Amino acid sequence: MIEVRGLQKSYDSFQALKGIDFTVNRGEIVGFLGPNGAGKTTTMKILTGYMPQTSGTVTIDGMDINTRSLECRARMGYLPESTPLYPDMLVYDYLRYVATVRGVQSDLIKQRIKAACEMCGIVDRIGQEIGTLSKGYKQRVGLAQALIHDPDVLILDEPTSGLDPNQIVEIRNLIKRLGERRTIILSTHNLPEVMATCSRILIVHQGRLVADGSAAEIELRQADTQRLKVLVVGGDPGQVEAALASLPTVLGTERVPASEAGAVAIELSAAKNQDLRPLVFAKVVENGWQLIGLERDHLDLEGLFRKLTREV
Amino acid sequence: MATATPQIPQAPSTAPTLGKPSAVRTTLAITRRELGFFFNSPIAYIVIALFLVVCGAMLFIFDLPEGGTFFQNNEASLRALFGPTSPNDFGGIPLLLAFLIPALTMRLLSEEKRTGTIELLVTWPVTDTQIVLGKYLAGLVFVAVMLLFTVPLALMVGGLGKLDLGLVVGGYLGLFFVGASYLGLGLMASSWTKNQIVAFLVGVTFCAFFYFVDGMVGAVWADARNFFAGLSIKTHSQNIARGVVDIRDLVFYLSLISLSVVVTVQSLMARNWKK
Repeated sequence: MIEVRGLQKSYDSFQALKGIDFTVNRGEIVGFLGPNGAGKTTTMKILTGYMPQTSGTVTIDGMDINTRSLECRARMGYLPESTPLYPDMLVYDYLRYVATVRGVQSDLIKQRIKAACEMCGIVDRIGQEIGTLSKGYKQRVGLAQALIHDPDVLILDEPTSGLDPNQIVEIRNLIKRLGERRTIILSTHNLPEVMATCSRILIVHQGRLVADGSAAEIELRQADTQRLKVLVVGGDPGQVEAALASLPTVLGTERVPASEAGAVAIELSAAKNQDLRPLVFAKVVENGWQLIGLERDHLDLEGLFRKLTREV
Repeated sequence: MATATPQIPQAPSTAPTLGKPSAVRTTLAITRRELGFFFNSPIAYIVIALFLVVCGAMLFIFDLPEGGTFFQNNEASLRALFGPTSPNDFGGIPLLLAFLIPALTMRLLSEEKRTGTIELLVTWPVTDTQIVLGKYLAGLVFVAVMLLFTVPLALMVGGLGKLDLGLVVGGYLGLFFVGASYLGLGLMASSWTKNQIVAFLVGVTFCAFFYFVDGMVGAVWADARNFFAGLSIKTHSQNIARGVVDIRDLVFYLSLISLSVVVTVQSLMARNWKK
């Protein structure tokens, strides 16, 4: 759906993008992550055709973003970082304007405005002046604007920045719903947001892509060790610990207080390169014990993010 | 065609929602929105009010170029409205418009740049030319409305004595073209800055320059005056105020308009120059 190859962008002497490659498939919600100034917004501005790249190619559905700009732009919805809107227009007038300029068929315009407003939860604000809306509602009008022509691709630059926690959850849920049948790229430096909404994460740092994959994949690839918590009944604590310690790649074991009576709780740390869970399960079964809990440590995306984007 | 692999649900294509792209429809949508802004903002009404007050004063109170006031001369003529009649006249409405029109155009692009809405606008499937033309057209409609407001003045004069209809039509046509030229210059100034005041002052400077250019150059280099007279809005509006609609005047206005519109489009496209 979206293919980015060798994307570079220089502003005068500053090289904002130093060669980025990625492909986004239809129906993916991709989180674009990185510290401020990493190149997120620059990439989005190039994807949306706002400014040209220095080198490299971007194609949307096989169409080159530079040579078939209008067709590409027609398929995309874009919400820029600052949600620029016209404060003195009514929500309805604004959406009708966007729909007309975007070339939505005249007889479908009302229907599309209604659909976009319902999706974004702004039906009751439709007659209000945009300038008098709260920040959360402005953000939703911005999203409605991006959706008005029912695009295949949505590009959202920090869609939840500056919103309060309730609004963030609402926008997040909205994005998830939108992602059911669209391709979405959203940028953020809010990690929980990525965990909550995105099926895939791209981490950029200093103009380069430093990680690409699901949160779990990135963690597995990048973290030094993995930690597992195993809860077993029917075995002697010492035997259980010894059995688990004998598994390949295990670096250490630790007996921890079990939350359930009669159970043995062991924490394992192991090299990151292999998922240990099937082996643990097999080992427990082999010894005639019962496995009642097996939990991999919650992904520490935050630590990972810091590690990947440390200044060098 | 049967496939073994499960199909990923496809997002429906946007094709049914989007009609055939129409440059005219897009441009007119932009025009309509700008007109909405014009008539919702106080500036538009201040400009119209000021315009009418000065028009009335020029017509009925001030001395006419040929000497004497309207009532002393006892002649039903709108000439005082349509512009200077000799090189020594300071100028009538054409000079006033050099200050009023940049006040209308100053917002057109600078405000979009300041608030960042331009970033959305240019990522919609709209060409930069459509954006500029849409805004320019809105200005033209506004100028036409402004001139329509002076029709009661014309009717009043017509009630006092017989008006030369050809002169009146020619005069209005001339004023319209003068306004249209200032619109182009003002829009161009607005495309260069995020600051409306800067856009206004630069716009006035350009309009006044093209109004006075032959006089200014002529004052220091008399031989060049005739050449620069061809570039002067004052000279061209003199012809029209005298009731002569010359094709050369129209060519001049149309060239000035096209040039400023092209420069404006280029200035929007400038974001694509730095790669």
